[in-house]
Amino acid sequence: MKYFLRRIGYFLLTLWAAITLNFLIPRLQPGDPAELMIRQISGRDTEIDPARIEAMRVMLGQPDGNLFEQYLAYLGQLARGDFGYSYTYFPATVTDVIGRALLWTLVLVGVTLVLSFVLGTVLGAFAAWWRNSPFDSIVTLGSTFVGTLQSFWVALLLLFVFGYVLGWFPTAGGYEASMPGLNLEFLLDAVKHSVLPAAVLMLLGPVGWVLGMRNTMILNLGEDYIRLARAKGVPDKQIALRYAARNALLPSVTGLAMALGGILGGQILIETTFDYPGLGRLMQQAASGKDYPLLQALLLFTIVGTLVANLVADMLYGVLDPRARKAA
Amino acid sequence: MDRHASAPDDVTPILEVEDLTVRYAPKLHPALDAVDHVSFSIRPGEFVGLIGESGSGKSTLGTAVLRLTERPGSITGGTIRFDGMDITSMSQEELRPYRWRDFSTVFQSSMNALNPVVRVEDQFRDAIELHSSRRGGEVVERIKELFDLVLIDHRFIRAYPHELSGGMKQRVNLALALANDPKFVLLDEPTTGLDVVVQRSILEGVRRLQAEQGFAVLFISHDIGTVMDLSDRILVMYAGRIVEEHDTDDLLREPLHPYTKGLLGSYGDPRQETVRITYVPGRPPDLSQPLQGCPFAPRCPERIDRCLTDAPPLVEMPTTRTEGAVTALRLDAAGTWRPPRAACHVALLQRTEPGTPGLPERTVRFAGPAFEKSVGETTEALRGEVLLDVADVTKVFSSRQGLRRRETLAVDGVSFQLRRGMVTALVGQSGSGKSTLARMITGVDRPTSGSITFHGRQGPVDVGTLGGSGLRGYRSLVQMVFQDPYSSLNPNKTLEYILSRPLRNHRQMGRAELGAAIDELLERVALTPARRYRSRHAFELSGGQRQRVVIARALAAEPELIIADEPISSLDVSIRAEVLDLLQRLVADSDVGILYITHDLLSARMLADDVVVLNQGRVAEHGIAIDVIRDPQDEYTRRLLDAIPNPFADIYKP
Repeated sequence: MKYFLRRIGYFLLTLWAAITLNFLIPRLQPGDPAELMIRQISGRDTEIDPARIEAMRVMLGQPDGNLFEQYLAYLGQLARGDFGYSYTYFPATVTDVIGRALLWTLVLVGVTLVLSFVLGTVLGAFAAWWRNSPFDSIVTLGSTFVGTLQSFWVALLLLFVFGYVLGWFPTAGGYEASMPGLNLEFLLDAVKHSVLPAAVLMLLGPVGWVLGMRNTMILNLGEDYIRLARAKGVPDKQIALRYAARNALLPSVTGLAMALGGILGGQILIETTFDYPGLGRLMQQAASGKDYPLLQALLLFTIVGTLVANLVADMLYGVLDPRARKAA
Repeated sequence: MDRHASAPDDVTPILEVEDLTVRYAPKLHPALDAVDHVSFSIRPGEFVGLIGESGSGKSTLGTAVLRLTERPGSITGGTIRFDGMDITSMSQEELRPYRWRDFSTVFQSSMNALNPVVRVEDQFRDAIELHSSRRGGEVVERIKELFDLVLIDHRFIRAYPHELSGGMKQRVNLALALANDPKFVLLDEPTTGLDVVVQRSILEGVRRLQAEQGFAVLFISHDIGTVMDLSDRILVMYAGRIVEEHDTDDLLREPLHPYTKGLLGSYGDPRQETVRITYVPGRPPDLSQPLQGCPFAPRCPERIDRCLTDAPPLVEMPTTRTEGAVTALRLDAAGTWRPPRAACHVALLQRTEPGTPGLPERTVRFAGPAFEKSVGETTEALRGEVLLDVADVTKVFSSRQGLRRRETLAVDGVSFQLRRGMVTALVGQSGSGKSTLARMITGVDRPTSGSITFHGRQGPVDVGTLGGSGLRGYRSLVQMVFQDPYSSLNPNKTLEYILSRPLRNHRQMGRAELGAAIDELLERVALTPARRYRSRHAFELSGGQRQRVVIARALAAEPELIIADEPISSLDVSIRAEVLDLLQRLVADSDVGILYITHDLLSARMLADDVVVLNQGRVAEHGIAIDVIRDPQDEYTRRLLDAIPNPFADIYKP
């Protein structure tokens, strides 16, 4: 129990630090951000109307008062989920913009991640169990080869072959209909749009899990308790599942929890290549469009996601491995 | 059935191994037979010991007997019969029902034999439910019985393995092996790595249980003393073959094979005025190369011409006992006596054709090199000038846990003096503070209070206050010899390179002087002729030779004090004396002092003039080595002494 309380304590502390840094860093930058933005919008040497700057301040929701009062106000906004307005999608609020992209990324990246994990782990476990067999060689060498490919390159290749040459799948976007609605037609359309990006993720995703699982499991198979299980007469299938695979799964499970946290960052390269309306593309747009409120919110989102994932991973490890509880 | 009344032929051996060969065929190296045409049998209830140097094939044989040989090894010939049933070529599936019900094992390094993420209870449940009809509450009852057998509190049934101490894990493993009342248990180095005192208590437990429950045991260990103490009969293995099979008591009285004599010679009685222990020079043969003659011949002091050409077969030997009339009087556990066997031309000829020309004199002792220590040398050494003065040294470690601070007293008010040309031994179990003390003497840690003064040639130095360049200068005067020569030498470097490093660093030697200095060092540690060793790589050397190189490296800096931390405990007993002998000659020939850190009182007696026994950071006893051993004043010293196996206790009365 102490282990879990301590983990939660660390989590809250880090979260607070992240939020505070996210608040402080823009404010520590020299110059007035509002003025800076107006300048960027209207060009370097033009005369700037102070009213515009003031208007920008209001738009950005920059409060008056000293740093501490601002900080409290900022925390209050966060609690209400108020991140201000996005520049690129003005007058939409940042919360709305993120909300619209969130589901797309969650479905695409989340589903492919979980499937990649399952596929990769199973392949890795079998490769380890039959190590040095042809199956192992194919899986290991194959993974290593695929692992060296760049995701955007694979994406472009698929896009070219299946999108342009064969014309089987749409080449951009997440859906065709102008307004998404919850009907079969739209869902089918959305699935059709996500086939290519999902294929790229499913091709590259399992690689890490395969190699990780295989290597840990081979290490595990050399352990004395596996030898002892053999000597005990435990059937092979049970040794493979309950002894070797179960213990080898521990680091992978932590890895999965962490990777799930990373979903919130989206898949920038893939989403941009396919012009997929998820968080990754949003991040790319926010960065190139200097959409600071959006960018800041996305970063905070990613940080929180990673932290929560970390907490979950720690908790899981505590449940799965009794040694971790004591060591902490 | 009254076993003692049965005739030898009536007893079906529980384990019968005939002509067994186990071959290792790795992809990148030549194939070798790690077990080479081995035959022996074990009867129900018998306790048989299997000894030999590391690499002799003991564990390979043990693993093969359980049909657990793994690639690249495989059984390529012979048969294994268990309780009359041929299991040599049974499939794992056919074999499964017999596993752990009829034969079980406690593995080497079985510290890791328990699955770390599963409760002890479930690991017992596995073993019990697979092989018996016990379920649920009955299983728990059985586990409780087993825990009682090995004297462990029931509350640890629900524990995870990491919550048990090393000794407890070992006892749990033993209990696990006995879970289904097996007929045969293989013990493969079951206590290696444990403290002497803990080891003692576990092995006594094994013997007690074996007597109560009547299972047969094959006990594999390189710790010959323990094996001798426990076993009814001994198998001696060398280069994959059994070279001698002999009842323990008879073997101690009249060892047949020179190799057995060599192994036995590494034990001496520490209470004697003069202790003599022998060592077997050289290293075991490379089994991937074809062998001609007896594999032991190159290391054998008794060899005759025939040994170099013909491999001696393992045959029954007439001994003093079989020659006399007492033969059938003494019966072993199974009620029969079997004649000893040995694979040695010399032993056979000495007993059958004593007139053969060129035959060496019959001897029970190893005729090879020996190391002797007598009390006279100590009196001499006590006149040297003080080199190291440890005065009332205390070390407190504090660790923080949350907001609480916990203080551990690692060393508590220790004082002793080390003189030039003398060896002082720090003796104690793990956790006694001996390593902490060594760290303070080398300047790695500072004492919390008290002082350590080093009286070097350049005047006295207070070690506790040294820092920076002072410390660097001091460290070239104090050199360490570590426990494991396999990990303290880079195996891929030549001896020339290894020895040139300290010569350059500490003595700023140029290329011109290096050659001569390296040769001199090699000669000092008796790696001669130096020319031949200079360009050899560390991996080509035996453990004893490697430890010599480590010592030579320490000497290169021209130290005034050498700290030897368990320098022989990772070496095979057959070569330990070799290293002791070298250290002894070092102190005799120069005025260095040696601080010898060990858990082993026997080796302390062999090497040291002065013994400091540490217990929980405090000096339990301090005195002249021979006095401490002959007349220990402290209860703890007595316990350490009792833990030394002494197979000769009944044979040679002091």
